[in-house]
Amino acid sequence: MGDDYRFIGKATQRRDAVEIVTGTALYLDDLRFQNLLHGKVLRSPHAHALIKKIDKSKAEALPGVKAVLTWQDIPDWKGGTPRKLRVLDKKVRYVGDAVALVAASTEEIAREALDLIEVEYQVLPAVLDMDSALKHGAPLIYDEFPGNIIPGGTIAFGPNCLKGVVMGDVEKGFAEADVIAEGTFGYENIPNALPPEPVGAVAMWEEPNKVTLWSTSQAPYMDKGTLFHVFNRQVEIRCIGNHVGGSFGTKIMCWQVQAYAVLLSRATGKPVKVMFTKEEHMAAFTLRIGSRIHARVGMKKDGTLTAIHGTWYVDSGYYSFTTQAQVAVGSGELMIMAQCPNWDLKNIIVATNRNASGSTRGFGGQELKCSFIPILSLAMEKAALDPFEVLKKNYVKPGGGYFWRDGNWYQYRGIDYSAAMDKGAEQFGWKEKWKGWLTPTAVNGTKRLGIGVGVHGNADVGEDSAEAYVQLDCNGTATIFLCAAEHGTGQKSNYAKLVAEVLQIPLDRISMTPADSLITPFEFGPVGSRGTYAIGSAVINAAEDVKRRLFEFVAPKLGAEPQDLETVDGVVFVKGYPEKSLKWRALGYDRTLLGHGRFEPDFTVCNCMMSFVEVEVDTETGKVTLLRVVLATDVGQIIDPQGLEGQLNGALGSAGIDSAIFEETILNHSTGHILNANLMDYKWRTFTELPAMEHVVLETPMPTHRFHAVGVGEVATSPGPSAVLMAVSNAVGSWLHEYPVTPDRVLRAIGKVGYSARGGKK
Amino acid sequence: MKQFEHHDALSIEEAVALLSDYEGKAKIIAGGTDLLGALRDEVFLEYPEALINIKTIDGLDYIRSDEKGLAIGAMAGLADIVKSPVVKKEYQMLAEAAYSVATPQIRNMATIGGNLAQDVRCWFYRYPRRIGGPMVCLRKGGKFCSALAGDNRYHSIFGAAALSDISLDLGKVRKGCFAVGPSDIAVALIAMDASIVTTKRSLPAELFFKATALSSTVLDSDELVKEIEIPKLPMGAVQRYDKFTLRKPIDFAVVSVASMLTLNNGVCEDARIVLGAVAPEPVRARKAEQVMKGRIVDEDVALEAAEHALAGSSPLRMNEYKVEIAKVLVKHAIWG
Repeated sequence: MGDDYRFIGKATQRRDAVEIVTGTALYLDDLRFQNLLHGKVLRSPHAHALIKKIDKSKAEALPGVKAVLTWQDIPDWKGGTPRKLRVLDKKVRYVGDAVALVAASTEEIAREALDLIEVEYQVLPAVLDMDSALKHGAPLIYDEFPGNIIPGGTIAFGPNCLKGVVMGDVEKGFAEADVIAEGTFGYENIPNALPPEPVGAVAMWEEPNKVTLWSTSQAPYMDKGTLFHVFNRQVEIRCIGNHVGGSFGTKIMCWQVQAYAVLLSRATGKPVKVMFTKEEHMAAFTLRIGSRIHARVGMKKDGTLTAIHGTWYVDSGYYSFTTQAQVAVGSGELMIMAQCPNWDLKNIIVATNRNASGSTRGFGGQELKCSFIPILSLAMEKAALDPFEVLKKNYVKPGGGYFWRDGNWYQYRGIDYSAAMDKGAEQFGWKEKWKGWLTPTAVNGTKRLGIGVGVHGNADVGEDSAEAYVQLDCNGTATIFLCAAEHGTGQKSNYAKLVAEVLQIPLDRISMTPADSLITPFEFGPVGSRGTYAIGSAVINAAEDVKRRLFEFVAPKLGAEPQDLETVDGVVFVKGYPEKSLKWRALGYDRTLLGHGRFEPDFTVCNCMMSFVEVEVDTETGKVTLLRVVLATDVGQIIDPQGLEGQLNGALGSAGIDSAIFEETILNHSTGHILNANLMDYKWRTFTELPAMEHVVLETPMPTHRFHAVGVGEVATSPGPSAVLMAVSNAVGSWLHEYPVTPDRVLRAIGKVGYSARGGKK
Repeated sequence: MKQFEHHDALSIEEAVALLSDYEGKAKIIAGGTDLLGALRDEVFLEYPEALINIKTIDGLDYIRSDEKGLAIGAMAGLADIVKSPVVKKEYQMLAEAAYSVATPQIRNMATIGGNLAQDVRCWFYRYPRRIGGPMVCLRKGGKFCSALAGDNRYHSIFGAAALSDISLDLGKVRKGCFAVGPSDIAVALIAMDASIVTTKRSLPAELFFKATALSSTVLDSDELVKEIEIPKLPMGAVQRYDKFTLRKPIDFAVVSVASMLTLNNGVCEDARIVLGAVAPEPVRARKAEQVMKGRIVDEDVALEAAEHALAGSSPLRMNEYKVEIAKVLVKHAIWG
C-alpha cells in the first residue's frame, strides 16, 4: 500500500515548519494594518443582572477613544441556537458577559476607558448549575426558555435533526437482559481545550454594508455563513484566515469576538482589532458542555446489549451555538460504540449562568461517553465481564448502523475495527493485567495500580460538503484553492501531498491560496474528523478533474486518447510509450487549467480510537499518576507519519485525557466567577511529567477516497477520560462518579475524607 | 499593565529612601516573577506609582558559609541556591525547597528575598480585574473572606489571619483571611531555625511571617529583606522537605512539610516540624515535636506525631483532604 506511493505515507517536511519554529509564521496578532484601532470589552461582575443605566460620557471624553458601544448603540444582531442572544444585551448572563465595547488608538487607552464607564446593575438571582436551573420556579435566564430548558435540534442539521435515540422496545430489551445496571455519572468539569493562541479578530468595515474580517478562525468560509445570520443577513462578509495557533475544535466559531470587532469598525470607519487576553480566553470564550447522565443499561451474560434507557442532562452555559449539534452528534456516536436494538435516550439542554459552551474536539460524544461508559461498566461489573471484550463486541461492525445527526439511519459500510483493538490490547498487555472489576492490577505498599479502557468513534469523517479548486500552470506547478486555515495539525501540508500524489509533481511545485472566502470555493472547515476524508476528497477530486482537463488538452497533440495518458513531473506521456510525451509547457504561457472538486457528505464510514490507560493511585494522598497510555486505531492509510504521531500524542491535554486527571474549569459556586482563568491554577500538564505513550496504528484500506484514509486526530482524546475513571476506580476498589479524579475525590472514594465537594457531610 | 515610574536603586539606603518617599505607593522589584503578574492582572487595589528596582544593587546575591552557618544575600537567585555545593551538601532541605519552586525559567529570575516577601496566591484575591473583577474579598474591602462561601479547596485548614487594623471583632477567627502562605522557602527556613535580617531588624524566621489580611510578613512598607542567616545544623540532623502538588513542577504547594530531626542512636533529641500552605503562616507543629523528644523514632511515633501536628486543624467545606495529606507528609518526614 503505502510503499506504492511517492508522497502519501512518507515523512515529508511540513510546508510551514521553518516559519513556525523560527517565529516568522504570521498569526493574527502579527498582522499589521494602517490606522488600526484596538478594541476592549467591559465585562460583567454579576452572573445575572439587568443593566439599569450606563453612562459612557467619561469614557468617550478620554483622548484617543474613538467609540464606546453599549446594547443601546448596536443593531439587533443575534447569535446562538436558537438565534436569541443579542451581541450586547440589556441583560448580562454570566460573570464576564460583555457589557460595553471600546475602540481606541492604543490598547492602554481602551483599557483605561473601560474603567470610566459607569454601569448600574439590578442584580438578579443566578442559576450556576443544572440542579438549580431546573428547580421549579428557578430564575429564568431567557424569558423565551421556560424552565431554563433550551429547545433541541439545530436547523444546520436539517428539519429532522437528531434529538435523542428512540428505537425498538426498551421494556422488552430489559426483559431479555441478564443484568440491569442503573446509575448517574457526570463529566461536568467543563475543561477548556485552550489552544495556545487566544481568539481574536480584525474587522474592516466599508459603508454601507460590507466587512472584511481577519480572525483566528480555522473555518473562514463557515464564518461567512455564521456571521451572515448573526448580522441579520444584511452584511456582505469576506473572511480571511491565517496561521491559527491551535484550535482543538474550538475555533470553528469565534463569532462573539468577530462581532465585537465588526461593530467597532462599523462605528469608527477604521480597522479594529479585538484580541482576547489569556484570561478572557479562559473565562469568557467557550468551554466543553457539561454532561450528566442517569441511565439504565440491560445486558446479556455475553455482553450483548439489550436496552439503553435514560436522560442526558446537558449544561450549555448561558447560551451556545453548537450544543444541539453536539447532542445530535454525541447521540449518534453513542450508538456507534454501543450497538443495541432498544433505545430510549432523551436529553435536556439546560441554560445556566456560566460562561458559554461551544465546539470542542469530541463534540458531544466525548462528553456523553465520559458519563455513559461508567454506567455501561456497572452492567459489565454485574455480569463479571472484561470491559475490553464488551467494548470491542458492541462497536459498530459492517452491516450495523446508527442514526446520525440529520435524524436518518445509516448502514455502516466501513471496516471491522476489532483487529486494531486486539492489537492495542496485546501491546498494552490487557489480558495479563486485567484482574476483574474494582480490583487493582498490583499493590505496592500504599500505591495501587489500575487499568481502564475506553473507545470512541464518529461518522464525522465524512461530514459536510467540501469544495476545492486546483489550477495548473504551464511551468509545471499547481495551486490549491481551499478555504482551510492551518490550525496547527499540518492538514494544509497534507492536502499538498494529496495533490502531489495525483499529479505526480514534487511538493515544492504546489502553492496554496490563503483561506479567503473571496478567492476560494466553499469549505466547512477542518473540524470534527473530516479533514482527511471530506476535505481530502474535495482536493483529490479537484486534482483529478484538472488532470482530466490536462489530458483532454494534450491528447490530440500526442495522437492518443486521454485515458491512455499519464503525467509525471510536469511531463505528459502515453502509458507504455514514455518517448511519446509533451511537457505541461504545451499548454502555452497564456493558459491555465482549473479543476473543481466537491465532496458530498457521507455518514456511512466511521473512525475508531481505543485508549488503554494504566494509573498509579497513592492511597495515602489520593494522588493519581498516569503511567501509560496505549492508543489503538486504524487509519486506512497513513498520509503523514509524523503528523499522525503528533495528533495521537496530543491525546493528553486540550480537554482530553487530562480532563480526568486534573484539567478543569473551576466555577465559584457562590458567585459564578471562574477562579482558575490562568495557567497556574488551570492544571495543564507540563512536559516534565509525560506518561509512556504508545500507538498502534493499522492501515486497512477504507472505502473512502482513492487513498482509503480516514482522519483520527480529533478522537485521540475522547476515549481517554472514561478509561482513567475506570482505572482509578479499579485501583481503589470503589466507583468514582466525577471528573477529574482529584486527591479529594479519591480520598473520599477510599473513605478517608468525609466531606463531599458539593457540600455537607457524606 | 498601567504606567508607573521605575527607579534603579544603587544601594539599599537609596531603595529604602525611595520607599519612604512614595509613602507606601511604591513596590520593590527584584526578580519580578510575582510582581509582574500581579501588575498585569491589576491585582492590587491601588496600582503602584513606582517600582524600585534592586537588581541594580551590587553585592546582595552572595551565598557564604563559615563555621557559624550560612549567610544568603536577599538577591541570591533560587537557581543559584539550588546549584550551590554548600547548600546541597549541608543544607539540602533548602536546596530541595528552592528546587520545588515553579520552573527553571522562574527560578532563574526569582530571588530568595522575593520568595519570602511574595504575595498570597488566593484565587479570590488574584481574580483578574478584567473579567468582571476585582472580587471584593476581605483584602479588598469586603466584609468577609470570599473563601468562606466560595471554593476553598486550597485555603487554610488552620483558621484565618486577622485584619491588621483591628476594626472588626476578632473574637471569631472566621472573620479573617483564609489565604495560605505561599512560600516554599519559608517552611524550610523555619525548620532550620534561620534568621531574617531586614533593613530594620534581625528576627527568627518564625516571627518574620506574621500574616494579617493585608500582609504576609512583618515587613513595614519601607523595609527590605537584606540577608538570611542559617545556623550550622546540629550533628545528626536529618533534614527533609516534601511538597504535595497536583502537578510535579510549577505548582504552589497544596501542603508542604519541612522537618529537621536530631537523632542520637535512633532517639529523637530535638525536632522541628513545619507545615506550609495549610495556614496563613507556616505552622510549627510544636505538639508533634514534643511527643517525639526522647523517644525512639519509629512508625508509631511518626503516626502519633502526625495526628498531633493536625490536631488543631479546622478544615473548610472543601479542604478536609488537605488534613489527610498533611498527616501523610508529616508521617513521611519522620519515618520515610
